Amino acid sequence: MVEITVLKRSRTEAALTQRKFFKKTAKGKVFKVLRERYLRDDVSCGIDGCKICHDTPLPSYGDKNHSSFPDGHFLLPDTNVFLSQMDLIESPLFGPPIILLQTVMEEVRHRSLPLYNRLKALTRMEDKKVWVFYNEFRSETAIVREEDETPNDRNDRGIRKATQWYAQHVALRSSSIRGQDQNSPTILLLTEDAANRFKAEKLGLSALSVRKYVEGMKDSPQLLDLLAAEGSDEIEPTRVATGRQVLYPEYLSTGILVAGVKAGSLHQGHFNANQYNYLEGNVSVPGFNKPILLIGRENMNRAVQGDVVVVEVFDEKEWKAPADEVVDQESTLKDDDAEESEGEGDAEKSGQLREKEAKMVKVEKIASLRSLERLPTGRIVGVIKRNWRAYVCHIESTSLTSSNSTSLSIQTVFATPVSRLLPRIRLRTRQAPTLLNQKILVTIDRWDATSRYPEGHFVRALGRAETKEAEQESLLLEFEVPYRPFGKAILDCLPQQGEQWVVPPKTESSKEWKDREDLRGLNICSIDPPGCQDIDDALHARVLPNGNVEAGVHIADVSHFVHPDTPMDNEAAARGTTVYLVDKRIDMLPALLGTNLCSLRPFVERLAFSAIWELSPEADIVNVRFTKSVIASKAAFTYEEAQIRKDDPHLQDDLTQSIRLLNTLAQKLKAKRMAAGALNLASPEVKIHLDSAESSDPIDVEQKEMRETNSLVEEFMLLANISVARKIEEVFPQTAVLRRHMPPPKTNFEKLQDLLEKRKGFKLDVSSSGVLAKSLDLCVDPDLPAFNTLVRIMATRCMLSAEYFCSGSVGKNTFGHYGLASSIYTHFTSPIRRYADVLAHRQLSAAIGYSPLHPSLHSKAHVERILEVVNKRHRLAQMASRASVEFYVGLALKARGERGGGTGVTEEAFVIRTFRNGIGIFVSKLGIEGLVTFKKDMLFDAENYTMTVAGMVISVFDKVVVRIEVEKDRNTHRGKVKMTLVSPIDSKGM
Amino acid sequence: MASISKAEKSYIQAGLLADPPSRADGRSKNVFRTISLETGVAPLANGSARLSIGRNPHDGSGGTEVLAATKLEVEDIGPGSQGLDSGRIECTVSCSPAAYPFLSSNALDELQYDYTTIMSSTLTHPSLRPSNISILQGKKSWLLHLDVVVLTDSGNAFDAMFMAARAALCDTKVPRTRAVEYRASDSKLKGKTSSGGIMGAVLDASSSKDMDVDVDVMESSSFNTRVHSKATDFELPDYWDEGEILDGKGRWPICITLNIVSATHFLDATTPEEASVSSRLLLMFSFPSDSSTSKSQLYGMRTLGSGEFSVSQLSDLLKEGESYAKEVWKALNSQLDEETALKLKEMKRF
Repeated sequence: MVEITVLKRSRTEAALTQRKFFKKTAKGKVFKVLRERYLRDDVSCGIDGCKICHDTPLPSYGDKNHSSFPDGHFLLPDTNVFLSQMDLIESPLFGPPIILLQTVMEEVRHRSLPLYNRLKALTRMEDKKVWVFYNEFRSETAIVREEDETPNDRNDRGIRKATQWYAQHVALRSSSIRGQDQNSPTILLLTEDAANRFKAEKLGLSALSVRKYVEGMKDSPQLLDLLAAEGSDEIEPTRVATGRQVLYPEYLSTGILVAGVKAGSLHQGHFNANQYNYLEGNVSVPGFNKPILLIGRENMNRAVQGDVVVVEVFDEKEWKAPADEVVDQESTLKDDDAEESEGEGDAEKSGQLREKEAKMVKVEKIASLRSLERLPTGRIVGVIKRNWRAYVCHIESTSLTSSNSTSLSIQTVFATPVSRLLPRIRLRTRQAPTLLNQKILVTIDRWDATSRYPEGHFVRALGRAETKEAEQESLLLEFEVPYRPFGKAILDCLPQQGEQWVVPPKTESSKEWKDREDLRGLNICSIDPPGCQDIDDALHARVLPNGNVEAGVHIADVSHFVHPDTPMDNEAAARGTTVYLVDKRIDMLPALLGTNLCSLRPFVERLAFSAIWELSPEADIVNVRFTKSVIASKAAFTYEEAQIRKDDPHLQDDLTQSIRLLNTLAQKLKAKRMAAGALNLASPEVKIHLDSAESSDPIDVEQKEMRETNSLVEEFMLLANISVARKIEEVFPQTAVLRRHMPPPKTNFEKLQDLLEKRKGFKLDVSSSGVLAKSLDLCVDPDLPAFNTLVRIMATRCMLSAEYFCSGSVGKNTFGHYGLASSIYTHFTSPIRRYADVLAHRQLSAAIGYSPLHPSLHSKAHVERILEVVNKRHRLAQMASRASVEFYVGLALKARGERGGGTGVTEEAFVIRTFRNGIGIFVSKLGIEGLVTFKKDMLFDAENYTMTVAGMVISVFDKVVVRIEVEKDRNTHRGKVKMTLVSPIDSKGM
Repeated sequence: MASISKAEKSYIQAGLLADPPSRADGRSKNVFRTISLETGVAPLANGSARLSIGRNPHDGSGGTEVLAATKLEVEDIGPGSQGLDSGRIECTVSCSPAAYPFLSSNALDELQYDYTTIMSSTLTHPSLRPSNISILQGKKSWLLHLDVVVLTDSGNAFDAMFMAARAALCDTKVPRTRAVEYRASDSKLKGKTSSGGIMGAVLDASSSKDMDVDVDVMESSSFNTRVHSKATDFELPDYWDEGEILDGKGRWPICITLNIVSATHFLDATTPEEASVSSRLLLMFSFPSDSSTSKSQLYGMRTLGSGEFSVSQLSDLLKEGESYAKEVWKALNSQLDEETALKLKEMKRF
């Protein structure tokens, strides 16, 4: 008989093999978690030439290039190295082999998930020599937490133990090489923790701080720059010793913050900086319907744009109105010296600065006690989550002490971020002179209570400012657009035939034709902007025998090529949307799909997803059906071509008839939509004329033209989206991907209402979208045709932005789309460039029984997670394209100004805001906003939105003429649009 | 219980009444079978113990075997909840069907219910409530579940259950919690926006000592242990720490069962013996160590069966029961101490 023995782990080993800990859930429950671990003796050390271990990718003697370790060495970094010096480790110049302990990995994961992901990527990088050593699983290096030992101490001890083991292990190996008297390589513990270093040295181990280590490296000047600001304490110990002035209140601990937020006495939200005034910011919180205002440096308490912060709201009698003044960080802080303010030691200077800033804050205190404008005011007491990333900056030339380009001395300089929402960052670099005039990437490391500015370090240079490449890349980085080329795994998901892929001939057995309708015979055409390559929609219409009209919208069948949970799908989900810059398109899907296989080009057969309606002649829906289909578009028109064709009475062919039919229906649909209360909103859109495709130098800017055919396409897309939304919501009430536009809170309009009433005598009724649409129609000034558009633009800014959501996550009464006055809406019509549409396609496909729904789309949590990313990407993509247009408008202006003899461009503009010392203007022809500032305060009437400049009264909505010049800031070398008034008065020199 | 024939019954009774009394396993009347105890057997519980009486040391067969475990759960206090500021204990006994193969499932349920009632009425009494299972006044507290499982029963289940429960409760560790609260101090309204305006307080809920900290209200102090009512949430300061020992180690009572046959009684009855006695008296005693005068505390008393006792008989039984209980108490405590010492040693080994 076979003897069966059960190997039970004896309970006496429990102390070593079981790790128990508690976990507190968000709901306040406490769980006990038990982890079992199995210790082994065969966890490999990873060093080549080791007689005991297998699997040895690290070079035998480590790295011999370091001056202190001629016999070679391996790095064994502590957790804090990865937490603070990740940029250094990631640098291609940083080459020594690294032994990464499991303890360290886990600690990094515990402390920061983004850093953990970077660390994981690091271990997979080919040019890095990283070995992950599972020290907690090797019997010699596993440790148990002792009584009264903090988790931190335990981990430190574990790291030291592993270092010790490695040192012995390596020594063992070299001693076994007989006859050769070779020294064994050093295992170097790299840690920023002095106590840990001290303890390690006591055990006879080598330990160094990162700075000390890097100083001995070959490429130390470049690498030292990548060092986070943390280490600066060591270099100038005397500076630290002189008691630093505390400039900001300390933060409260996280536990207290969470408790305070829970109890309702504190409020949590995202910090938004004010772009006009660097001493002001606000935080939108759920508890108040208006954002909480933060005035002054102390109250903003080191928050940076986008941080999740906790605010305390002051008593109501201390509430204030936002400042009515433009305060520019650069001009105010021009004299602040980077070296000096580092220690904040120069009390006099720092005092002066404080006074100056205090004055700025105070000015408005006296003037503005208007009750209407008073907002809940508060101060930041803590930060829940920093949202710091790498920022695109310029080095301020005045902060340099030596501009000698050969100087490699370390300098403390200021970097001014391109975004006006961010504070200037102080960094130490040896390359300052070479970095002047460049766009550089800077990461913030920390912001202490004793330091006026955040401290950061240099990551990399992007290139000379104002070169197109540098500007483009900085734009993409600034808006976090993923722009790397698609990887191999993603490209492998494409059909193997590549460009040669065609719809196979129709046969019984063909996979592609299964359950697809053959619509090749229909007169389908597409209408798009000129130069459009990713055609994702096409249309057709024909009269049915019963007098009704059949109209069809055919959308590229992207879900046929992009299958759920493939690398391509994951990448598309992460990108969320295609980003359109003036001269570049960052695709969501590989170009093969976007511009070829999915693009509904004319004269070729393409797979499509069709929505086909039977409409009554009055454009009421009689019936709708959805089907996968094969189409062959008969023509690809531009809006203009389609318009001309439609208007040409000589053309009577089927295609033209079909366009006319669509157009009549679209007009009726639009009329219905408007009657239901849809808004006709406006946003400034301009078109950039590029010189030629190659040089892409902008020649000029003009406003986009709207034709009847634009509206034609738009109406049918809306119809398709609404119909699809209804269908998928009906079939998947819990997880349907929908889009909604929440009605804006009335308070958002207060200012605009007051403005219109006081300046123009118009009443804006905002009680519903329909009423608002009507009252917007009435805001017409016969003298100023552009006035109505301006009001619409301003009204649009008062509204919330539309968002994708999962139907199961919110109440059904909040599904509505305010702007379109539709009770339900989704995005279905552009799957090539928007990921939400891909999801809608999959859901619709499952809803009509064409394909089963992927399990992930049944999970509410999953859909929510994806849509959150898509919403964010969508927002950032819009901002990126706007910024790109702005950049090109700037270039075009410069070009135009140069042609005109260097005097700049004069344009008509509207005043949209008045400040104490300036006016905000909007140039509708160029679609840009600008600021005209005056050197001193003017007579300013905040009640009536007017100001008096040299006897001339200027008020909001006035038409003025401005001169627009593009000038380069001498200090930061940042291109800047400068505007001065030309009419009614010339403000040059004012 | 298990039914035995009349002849068998009278044989056992006669044996017990004989002089010297004789029992089937050769024990004298007041001697227990071997008791073995192990604590910390359930790693996911907050405290646990496994106890057996009379198990064959060689093959592990026979005997009465009981498993007890405690589990702490956070409970909200407020309307609609049974939670108490001081925390509370809930006790449940379940019996493995294998322990009573001859009982129908209904009968088993009833038996479990009887056991639960007796255990629960004794151990959840307010006088035994530990002082350290409160978390936040008026908001949250610990609910301590004590679950006892009878794995096999060959007599004297009550004594075994109480001993196991005591061992499990002594093994229980309560995770340390720290109350967190945020409150703005009164001075805030005076327009003071610098560092002094805000106070965050961290209260140590598990410390009963009233620390007297000088609180400088105007500037930067952030500790105030006086105010308890405002805290709304708590945190675990150390996730890896098992916590502090549950209070009441000296109090958790044990049970001694006196099996009464005519004028005499005996301890630790086996199943047939239990079936042949007419009445049993359960006494729940504890001997708190702080009252070193060896003063005992009686936490419960219960009679089972049809027999009757006179008052004088009862007081004699009480007295004798107390002395037996003390023996058991001492033995159990020394075993518990040994277990603790053993665990410490294991820790040190690594």
